[in-house]
This record gives sequence, C-alpha cells and structure tokens, in this order.
Amino acid sequence: MECRENSMDLTRNLKNETVSRLYPTQPWLLQATQPVADAVKLMREKRVGCVLVCEQRLIVGIFTERDLLRRVLSKGKSLDTPMQECMTPDPVTVHPKDSISSAIKHMQKGGYRHLPVVIDEKPVGILSVKRIVHYLVEHFPTMVYNLPPHPQPTQPKREGA
Amino acid sequence: MICPSCCQKNLPGDDVCRHCKQPLTSFDRPQPENQVERSLMYDQVKTLKQKPPVTMSHSATIGDAMALMVAANVGALLIVDEVGRLVGIFSERDLLKKIVGDVADYVNLPITQFMTPRPESVATTDTLNFVLQKMDAGGYRHVPVLENGKPVGIISARDMLRFLTRLCKEAGERGASAL
Repeated sequence: MECRENSMDLTRNLKNETVSRLYPTQPWLLQATQPVADAVKLMREKRVGCVLVCEQRLIVGIFTERDLLRRVLSKGKSLDTPMQECMTPDPVTVHPKDSISSAIKHMQKGGYRHLPVVIDEKPVGILSVKRIVHYLVEHFPTMVYNLPPHPQPTQPKREGA
Repeated sequence: MICPSCCQKNLPGDDVCRHCKQPLTSFDRPQPENQVERSLMYDQVKTLKQKPPVTMSHSATIGDAMALMVAANVGALLIVDEVGRLVGIFSERDLLKKIVGDVADYVNLPITQFMTPRPESVATTDTLNFVLQKMDAGGYRHVPVLENGKPVGIISARDMLRFLTRLCKEAGERGASAL
C-alpha cells in the first residue's frame, strides 16, 4: 500500500507540478548579429552550456556547446561568424506553466540537453536535463544522498602493520 | 539504535550490539520504500542499457577527437592508454572551456593536454543509486562504466532521465492497475 502511494506520488507530481517549480536558471542572451566569439566568451564566463539568440527581445535560436563543435569548428568557420548562421533556429521551448512531464517528453523526443523557458517568445529561463535529474533524485533522497562516497565500504587490505 | 533481538540501546553507528553482539550494520542501510527506490538500490549498472563507449587513444590529437565526436554523434570521448585502460575524458565542455578562443592551431595538439584526467567512474556491478549520486552531486553529464579499469559503457544524464521516467511510469501504471 505504502509502496503504491509513493510511486504514484512521483508520477502525479510530474504531471501536476510545473516547470516554474524547478526554478529554471537565468538565460543568457545574445543578438543574432553578434559573432560566435561573443557566445564562447559568455558561455565560459557564466559557466553554462548554452545561450539564447534573440532579435530585439524575442527568441529566434539557441546556441550550445554542440553547435559550437558541429556547426562552427568542424565546418571550419571562423569565430567571427554571426550567430544567426550557426545557431539552431526555432528551438523547442516550454512555458513556465507547462508540466514537468511535458518538458521531459520534449527533451527526450528531440534529444535536447537544454530547453528555453519562454513567455510569449520572451526568454525567461533555461531548463537543463541535469536539473530534471536533480528534481527526480529529490524524490528519493535516502537512496542517493545517504550513500558512502564509494560503493565498496570495506578496505581491501588491513590498515597498519 | 535499539537492537532488534535483545532491545539493548546502542549508540548510533555501532557495528554490533553491545549486549548480544548481533551485527547491526545492515539496519543502518536505507530501506527502499517503493518500486523505484528498490530498483535504484539493487539493480546494477549492467542492467541499464548502455551505448558502447566511444574511445580514443591517448596519442590522438584534438583534431582527431573533434572528427570522431562529430562522426559518432557523441558529446564525450573516453581516452584510453595502450592497453585500453581509461585515463581521461574529453567532452564538448572541455573544448569550450579550455581551447576555443584561447589556443591557436589546436588541431594538432595532443588530447592529453586538454582532457579531464582520471574521471569519476562506476563499475558494472555498482548499483544505480551510485551513478545518480555521482551525476547529481558531482554535476557530471557523463559517467564512464568500467570493468577491470577498461571502459565498457558510458551513462549520460539523458540515459538516466530516460531510465527514471520509464521506471516511474511503470510504477505508476502498476499502482493504477492495482487500484
């Protein structure tokens, strides 16, 4: 009985709780005309894996580490290339009021690591796959957080003489 | 910790009961409360379907690594020595953080200069909660799976997410059908 309730809990939470409950991280924005070098600088400075590309205040694309490797470096393009030529245009986005399970579905369907969170095309956050894994882990803390740092608890040899 | 057989009160963390010497360590371990927790606690890494790892020799160059990452469509390469033991990991993140914009003509530089050496890894016989712990607490996106020091798989955050959501869904369905 207990067992059923707990696992039902998580399933229900995934459906009912919204993306805003995960406190998506602040998005870092660039204009579509800025060069890739600016994106690289921003991603390094802020220690993030992706930046959002905007025209005025509206989102037009996303630029990630993967785009950097695939669309810029391996194609032999220079870092002066404007963002609009190497970003992923029209990324799949979520609304803060969307359910967490729908965000997970979007992520898995497209194989995305990051989803922009937008309201009326205006970016308000980034939701990462790590954040979602963290959210799931919070549902069974004792299984994960109460662990020793290494799986084998005993020492292979006796200490001392 | 109260001994289950003789009711002697022991200090928390005692290995054996002070009165009857019965071992107590197993009672300190968390008890799984549902299907998902049980799976995390007892299922071993090898039960998780993993992609074969994409490996590269430690004598390769950054250019080789970039070409392989694009060709194999992966975000991280495992770097191995002559006998196939894991010595490092090289990911898109290393490329962004250590190379692009900083280093000119990086294509012919050795990979060992920029890889992350001795990454955290798990064994095939470790349980899944250890993978989650490393991923969540360490903030790693990829955790290599080793057997005798040699990589046999790699688990990404997305693999783990897929596994967890499937587990939750199954548990939910089982719960719903039992009602």
